[in-house]
Amino acid sequence: MPRGQKSKLRAREKRRQARAETKGLEGAQATAAAEGESPSSACLPFGGEPQNLPAADIPSTPLAPQGAPSTTNTMAADSCTYPDEDSSQDEKNATSSKGTKGRSGDPLNDKVVLMVQFLLQKYQKKEPITKADMLKLVTKNYKPHFNEILRRSSEYMELAFGVDLKEVDPIRHWYALVNKLELTFDGTMNNEEGMPKTSLLMIVLSVIFMQGNCAPEEEVWKVLNMMGVYADRKHFIYGEPRKIITEDLVQLNYLEYQQVPNSDPPRYEFLWGPRAHAETSKMKVLEFLARLHDTIPSAFPSWYEEALKDEEERARARAAARARTAAAMASARSRAMARNFSHTK
Amino acid sequence: MVPSYMQGSTRRVGIMTDVHRRFLQLLMTHGVLEEWDVKRLQKHCYKVHDCNATVEKLEDFINNINSVLESLYIEIKKGVTEDDGRPIYALVNLATTSVSKMASDFAENELDLFRKALELIIDSETGFASSTNILNLVDQLKGKKMRKKEAEQVLQKFVQHKWLVEKEGEFTLHCRAILEMEQYIRETHPDAVKVCDLCHGLLIQGQSCETCGIKMHLPCVAKYFQSNSEPRCPHCNDYWPHEIPEVFDPEKEREAGISKSNKKPLRSRQH
Repeated sequence: MPRGQKSKLRAREKRRQARAETKGLEGAQATAAAEGESPSSACLPFGGEPQNLPAADIPSTPLAPQGAPSTTNTMAADSCTYPDEDSSQDEKNATSSKGTKGRSGDPLNDKVVLMVQFLLQKYQKKEPITKADMLKLVTKNYKPHFNEILRRSSEYMELAFGVDLKEVDPIRHWYALVNKLELTFDGTMNNEEGMPKTSLLMIVLSVIFMQGNCAPEEEVWKVLNMMGVYADRKHFIYGEPRKIITEDLVQLNYLEYQQVPNSDPPRYEFLWGPRAHAETSKMKVLEFLARLHDTIPSAFPSWYEEALKDEEERARARAAARARTAAAMASARSRAMARNFSHTK
Repeated sequence: MVPSYMQGSTRRVGIMTDVHRRFLQLLMTHGVLEEWDVKRLQKHCYKVHDCNATVEKLEDFINNINSVLESLYIEIKKGVTEDDGRPIYALVNLATTSVSKMASDFAENELDLFRKALELIIDSETGFASSTNILNLVDQLKGKKMRKKEAEQVLQKFVQHKWLVEKEGEFTLHCRAILEMEQYIRETHPDAVKVCDLCHGLLIQGQSCETCGIKMHLPCVAKYFQSNSEPRCPHCNDYWPHEIPEVFDPEKEREAGISKSNKKPLRSRQH
């Protein structure tokens, strides 16, 4: 590095440290990135000897909130401490040795890392993501590479976490992180009985079915309690069970939750929602129940009969739909052929 | 197929399946989990996404995931609680010092309060800082002025978010905070920080030798002096004056599970 640069860097670093204490570190990152090189000493708001820091360390934001208007933008200031050379690799301590392994020296990768961490935070908090937020993470020099950074970040999110970054509003550029692993029943998952919300839902649907297609809330909780799921206790997989079955799944139209008519004090009951009718069936729910009890569906004769009838009705409905579609397609084809004939004549 | 930029330069990248992804998702939402729960979580993910596969040994399972996460500077880190030696796991950022995880949840003055509490904890003999001592520092906080009443609530917020733990009016670091912030703490307090003589890990709470001053984690003491009727300091050989704690036994834990107030009820069926 040419001699003049070192003292310039030191002066800049002093100014940056002063600014970083009170404000976010956007200024710091902009200049550091612009330099092209960012020695690990560059972004320490607390000063101190940086030499023993691992190259990949970003101490710039320990406990320093981002002063920028979008306050959730924690990662915005971190881009400056990924030097392109692993010059301090030898001086890292044992705990951080992983941090510098596998560094391809690819500066874009550093931005991708930041972006992924940002997305993970947003995912955990279930907060919406705007393109503007993401752009803030990417400093001036890298803005032309934003799409590439975004693409790589999405790939990581999918590959490592099974989460999809989808643009839900192409006009305002709003993105959402959708859990790929939690899908509907319709066969896009290989094991439909398993997903946390899904299996909770299946249990509730089966209780409703067993109770004659309408289940009092107490009955539902009786069954769930036997499985260690309680209304007022956080569950290690399901989280908040009461909220899931009385709100979330109702909103998604899988369940209906209504007050028992004329009940005082008010009592509530559950029914299948329209989406449950559409995406699963009484037979599928019975199969689920049977598996749970290590037996076969026909071991429950009356429910089995009901499920069979339901299957027949569905089969008839499907056949009728197919017939209608076939008829429509046939007439469309004959019209098209007739046009061709008259045309070619 | 893993794109080349995703591969670590020295390690082979493992294969991630939906089992691993689900595991990661669930681990993330908890922040930190005890080993017993982690094993159940792993089994659950297999059941849900690949019920015919054999459940991989947890260590290999986690190493597999970590090899993929390596290029993201994230890893599943294993630690041990300082007070009773329970193995715990958390997903930690290696590159940032993960206090940035806090930074998005707290205001400037709140983070400064944490910083102050952290310093008191590190400097203390016991690893605990009294509520009074922390609150006396509210005037020195950066950012918006904070009253003591407010500060009390902020401290509770730290406890809720698993950054601090409170015992009888005194605060120490939550095991999650130690896992996530070890690097940061060692770097920002290189002189004040204490280290265990046995495992060389960061030490907040522990026992010390009254002669030569070396310190050891309680679980490290338990393991080192297990079935030793005459415990002696590994450094100066003087008689070890403290009560030797018991080594953590996961089996005993599970049996006692129901009676503990903060343990989840044992279930006969897993989902």
